[in-house]
Amino acid sequence: MRRQDPKPRRSAGKSNRSLFRRTIFLMVCLGVVLFIPMVAQLWKLQITQHDYWQERAAGQQLQSVAVNAGRGTIYDSQGEVLAMSATTYNLILSPADLIRNVNNLAENSAELQDEAGEVDEDKVQALLDETRQNVAEFLAQLLDRDVDTFLRRLERTGSYYEELATYLEEDEAEQVRQFIAGYREESGWNMGMPSILYLVETAQRYYPQSSIASHILGFIAENENSGGERVGAQGLEAAYQDLLTGTSGRVVTGKTGLGSELLSSYEEYFDGQDGYDLHLTIDSKIQAMAEQTLAEGIETYDVKEGGFCIVMDPSTGAILAMASSPEFDPNHYVEIITQSLQEELASVAQQYGEDSEEYSAARSAAYNEQLLNKAVSFTYEPGSVFKPLTVAMALEEGIIDPNDHYYCGGSKVVGGRTIHCHQRRGHGDQNVTQALENSCNVALMDIGEQIGAELMWQYWEDFGLMETTGIDLAGEVDSYFWPEDEFKGPYGAQSVAVASFGQTFRVTPIQMIRAFASVINGGHLLTPYVVQSITDDAGSTVYYHETQEARQVLSETTSEILRGMLESVVANGSGHNAYMAGYKIAGKTGTSEKIGEDTNDVVCSFMGLAPVDNPKVLVLLAYDSPERANGTSQYTPSGTYISGGNITAPMAGQLIADILDYLGMEKQYTSQELASSDTTMIRATGYELTVAKGLVQDRGLNVRTVGTGNIVTGQVPAAGVTLPGGSTVILYLGDEAPEEQVEVPNVSGMSPARAKETLENLGLFLRSTGVSDYTDASVMAVNQSMEAGTMVSIGTVVEVRFASNVIDYAPQEA
Amino acid sequence: MTIEQQLARGPIDLPFLALVLLLTIIGLVMLLSASYASAYYDLEGETGGNPYYYFMRQLVFAVIGLVAMFIITKIDYQWLRLLSVPAIFVSILLLVLVLTPLGRSGGGAQRWLNLGIRFQPLELAKISVIMFFAARLSKRNDQLKGPPKKWNRRTPVGRIGAFLDRIGFLELVPYGAILLVVLFLLYKQPHMSGMILVLISAAAVLFASGIRLYWFLGAGSLAGGALWFLITQTEYMTARIDAWLNPLNDLQGDGWQLWQSQIAIGSGGLLGVGLGNSRQKYMFLPEEHNDFIFAIVCEELGLVGACLIIALFALLIIRGYWLALHARDRFGTLLIVGLTTLTAAQTLLNIGVVTGALPTTGISLPFFSYGGTALVVQLASMGVILGVSRQIVAPKAE
Repeated sequence: MRRQDPKPRRSAGKSNRSLFRRTIFLMVCLGVVLFIPMVAQLWKLQITQHDYWQERAAGQQLQSVAVNAGRGTIYDSQGEVLAMSATTYNLILSPADLIRNVNNLAENSAELQDEAGEVDEDKVQALLDETRQNVAEFLAQLLDRDVDTFLRRLERTGSYYEELATYLEEDEAEQVRQFIAGYREESGWNMGMPSILYLVETAQRYYPQSSIASHILGFIAENENSGGERVGAQGLEAAYQDLLTGTSGRVVTGKTGLGSELLSSYEEYFDGQDGYDLHLTIDSKIQAMAEQTLAEGIETYDVKEGGFCIVMDPSTGAILAMASSPEFDPNHYVEIITQSLQEELASVAQQYGEDSEEYSAARSAAYNEQLLNKAVSFTYEPGSVFKPLTVAMALEEGIIDPNDHYYCGGSKVVGGRTIHCHQRRGHGDQNVTQALENSCNVALMDIGEQIGAELMWQYWEDFGLMETTGIDLAGEVDSYFWPEDEFKGPYGAQSVAVASFGQTFRVTPIQMIRAFASVINGGHLLTPYVVQSITDDAGSTVYYHETQEARQVLSETTSEILRGMLESVVANGSGHNAYMAGYKIAGKTGTSEKIGEDTNDVVCSFMGLAPVDNPKVLVLLAYDSPERANGTSQYTPSGTYISGGNITAPMAGQLIADILDYLGMEKQYTSQELASSDTTMIRATGYELTVAKGLVQDRGLNVRTVGTGNIVTGQVPAAGVTLPGGSTVILYLGDEAPEEQVEVPNVSGMSPARAKETLENLGLFLRSTGVSDYTDASVMAVNQSMEAGTMVSIGTVVEVRFASNVIDYAPQEA
Repeated sequence: MTIEQQLARGPIDLPFLALVLLLTIIGLVMLLSASYASAYYDLEGETGGNPYYYFMRQLVFAVIGLVAMFIITKIDYQWLRLLSVPAIFVSILLLVLVLTPLGRSGGGAQRWLNLGIRFQPLELAKISVIMFFAARLSKRNDQLKGPPKKWNRRTPVGRIGAFLDRIGFLELVPYGAILLVVLFLLYKQPHMSGMILVLISAAAVLFASGIRLYWFLGAGSLAGGALWFLITQTEYMTARIDAWLNPLNDLQGDGWQLWQSQIAIGSGGLLGVGLGNSRQKYMFLPEEHNDFIFAIVCEELGLVGACLIIALFALLIIRGYWLALHARDRFGTLLIVGLTTLTAAQTLLNIGVVTGALPTTGISLPFFSYGGTALVVQLASMGVILGVSRQIVAPKAE
């Protein structure tokens, strides 16, 4: 420090220098140095740790409201909605929040305090009561219930969550919103009504056609892993769960530290992806026909174990319908809707009471049974329906020729065991086609023996019977066969023998129809499917199913031979009850025993296709265990011989005809059929009798005259009426005039010829359907389109269905 | 016209004035932004849902403060030497009155006095202490010029007196007495941050005036020891320190504020969420328009905006000390040192608390925080500094 200041401004220079230095020190310290750690701290928070704090900020400032993606809609092939989702609301009340909010209000509002600024409990209680009354009155009016009900719930002061109503529709929800929003203004109190009463969105799944296609669609339900969400539990809902669900979107809104929502300018939307829509191959009209056919047969023949029906397009593998009985309603899948199951449960309830273990076991068995899609999740012994596969593999391998002859003496001894044919006296000499027509077990066993275990096993694998079909439905199961080495081993001969006519192994119906499709479609084994295409919410296609061929099993030639044989089975053989003129139906019956079950129940099935030259539909219809009239009777209580040919074939034939009609297929008649095909009556009245006769007979109609004279004065039927060719029309002569109305006679049990005569004598006309072979004495009318006793106009055409008794099955004796 | 009068009509320091006006305006804008939400949502409280409530009141006080500032710049600051003695006694009287039933309490402390208008006597006390110290310490040199008091070295009292005189103790007695009284009265309120501010600004004036450094070392270590004792031995302070170090452990209490403040600052990032777009002000951050307004500044304007505002404060402080260095006399220098140090301490402590660099204590940010009297007094003290700047001798023309 210099002793002498060169320019001493003041006498106390030393002191001033100290002041100067110390002020500079303060300036540097407080103006610069101490700010450095502050800026460093800001840097740390805002740059280094920015992400951390950003996350914390977002966590508390934003509320993210999930916007549920709409679950995709399921459409049938015609665009009919089979399953759809809609938003509904649950109404929630929080009585505890009411108390809390009113107390908060009391602390901040002078109106609820006395002069000393203390909370006035009386005023608070009065406000509480008033609010409860208002809310309860609103709820009572909204939900159409007692005010007291809601008052009681409002007084559960410890509860934060009272579910008042579920599945409210949009208009009710809107009323709630308006009440909540307007409450502050109306009551004059800002007590935070939105936290006391609020709506929670839920998605409701509707199945507009109720039980139609229920097993295909499945349903949605919560499960232990779904976290409160309802997810697909069966069928397509389960198989396509991920695609149907989509991804939830979010609306992010700001909120205040007190929890209320911020101004809308803070909202951000994160779009969800709505679930994809499924477009099925299922046609709900055909599906309804299939379900109807199944239900009718079950009703008519007192079928105990339900049944199944699959309608497939054999050229693509597309499933047009798939029905399983008993069925359920996916809207209320827990309810037992089948009458037989209900009755069964009722009897258990009566015996043990509804609280019993027996009842709950029966209840859950019934529940499981109605959910079971028998078409894919159930195995059965196909029986005689399987025979064409055995024949096809033998033909394909050149082991047999269609003209080979087989002799059936009624039984065959295989490995020391006598295996009977259903016709004990035997079928005699038959070629392969006749063996199928007769559904002869002995011939098939011979063919099976020729094929051998090795090749038979190989073909089963090729026919896809050893693997699941890969159909896009949940819950498909696999078949049961013998162990391979046992079947091919030295003791396999009996197994080979019974397998050749479809017994003692089990396949799923979908495996059976898939394999059968390959027999008749040119040998192509196709993957069956129910989803034709998948579209996103914009309607653009994200997936389209192309026909998937696993392999070619047979040649086109073999397939064509088999189609011919199967046509013959319906035209001339055991399947003739499926015959419908003009539809060119082919098929094979089956009556399979349920080996391993201690009953003598059988599964009566029919596999039918049409038109035979270019099959458009392949139908597998089966009834499981028709009731027997008594313990060992071969007849149902209503008197039908229990077999596929008698029970299932007529139902299947009608179903195929209905489907082809619905699909708009032109009927194709043979010349024989053409004779009885429809024609149109012309105007004969006013002509001379001879001219009139000629005109009418040119139309393929016969003439009967009533009265005398030369001029036709009246006719039945009137001109323009369509009636079957070969019918006899009535021409009235002279003063004779047709009667106005006649009573329809009962023709049931009559032969076709007698029925025709009976009807035509009354001035009615017969249109016969079903079996048309009038030469078979066993053919008789089984039902008629108009009930006996109905008054109808003269000239009306009455449709009568004929069927014949087919003995194509007799139980094997042990 | 006397020389003094002529000097008092010199130009005021424009850079300092510009900084003051800039900070006042930015402060008002930020106050509007920060207080908007809580004012808007406080339907049952004093604002009645008027989002501009706090802003309008602050604006009125800002205008009053600016008018006061300009009036004060017109007054020859030498008058403050005379004013300082009554001012300190009035301050002490008011601080005593606060503790009587006339005082009004809030937030667990009795700090306000309601004499027609509601205000904190502390605001006056801070300025008074600085004025009194500056006025008395500026005469130190002059006193030394006079004959020193003769101590009778033959008596023990005299010898002790001479010793105490030599080490400068006796000189400090009046300052110490005043400080102790003021600090005691603040302690009774209690007002921890007020005590800190009074202590720092008083110490700065004493420091600048040339008091021997070992007194500061001694007092500093004494204060440090007392602080250590308070922190470790009293539950209240331990809890506060803990809340500062681990805000998450005490989210129900003091930790909440710091946690929210750090969320606000941290989420601001480099450029901020934009003026007016703070979300933390929506009832997340308590005191968001008050002691913690700087957190909202950081959130909305980001690191860049916050650093710009810090730079303005730093420039104001540096310019303040620069004016102190150039003041016409010791009184002017010490007065500015005291007032500038007060502003600097408040700024630094507030930013430190808000950012979590320092333990939480209630110190408002000059020009920004809501508070009428504080703003008026702040602007008035800026007026004092500007008044001193008028009398700076212009550099001689070359």
